[in-house]
Amino acid sequence: MSVQFQDLSTTPRAGVKGPGAAEWLKQLGLPVPDVPNTWLPLGGALGGGLIARLGNTEFLVEGPESVKLAAPISHGVYPVLRQDTALVLKGARLNDLLLETCSVNFLAINRTTRPALLTSIVGVGVTAIPDGDELRLWCDSTYGEWFLDTLRTIAAELA
Amino acid sequence: MKIMTCPINGPRAITEFAYGGEIRPMPDPAAASDDQWADYVFNRNGAPGVKQEWWCHTPSNTWFVAERDTERDAILRTYLYTGEA
Repeated sequence: MSVQFQDLSTTPRAGVKGPGAAEWLKQLGLPVPDVPNTWLPLGGALGGGLIARLGNTEFLVEGPESVKLAAPISHGVYPVLRQDTALVLKGARLNDLLLETCSVNFLAINRTTRPALLTSIVGVGVTAIPDGDELRLWCDSTYGEWFLDTLRTIAAELA
Repeated sequence: MKIMTCPINGPRAITEFAYGGEIRPMPDPAAASDDQWADYVFNRNGAPGVKQEWWCHTPSNTWFVAERDTERDAILRTYLYTGEA
């Protein structure tokens, strides 16, 4: 298939939000992205996980470091349940798939600024992180099976 | 494609947004007459013109204010309720 899908839903992840979330994450020793809708790798390559700032005061931490968020939370920090379907998409026709299913032009995105985009793909709200020739996606797991099936069907038509 | 600019997420297709209604100041429930309260609860102003409206960028659940000229179908500006993003 011209687009490959990898399901990373079982990777540990956790989320927090609130006015005190950024300071609390710093106290846990995590690097906190300064700019809304950007991300930082944890421990070198993406295999070590990542931390993404979603909007002004919400954060997603994925990978081994996410266990740190089990610490007692402080004032102004609220846990966010992250039972996402997490996917990695790559392949020669990935951009064609995105052009057909999403209104964001990913080719125009400056990847050096490490953007995290909150948009919709086939009508499903997603968090999207382009990294190299891959695209990482997170969406509500209740949409997961349908979301993956729909993308696979469209990708098969592109092949 | 019609574009709206979310104060946090930037310019996006209008399909990513949901309308939340016109911003209308609520009268004091204790001081308002029955007529004033009924007008606030039941009546809406459909006359075209410049209006301030609640809109939500649904993928990020970002609520913000859009100033829209409903006569010209033009979005004049968008901003967070707490101030410019």
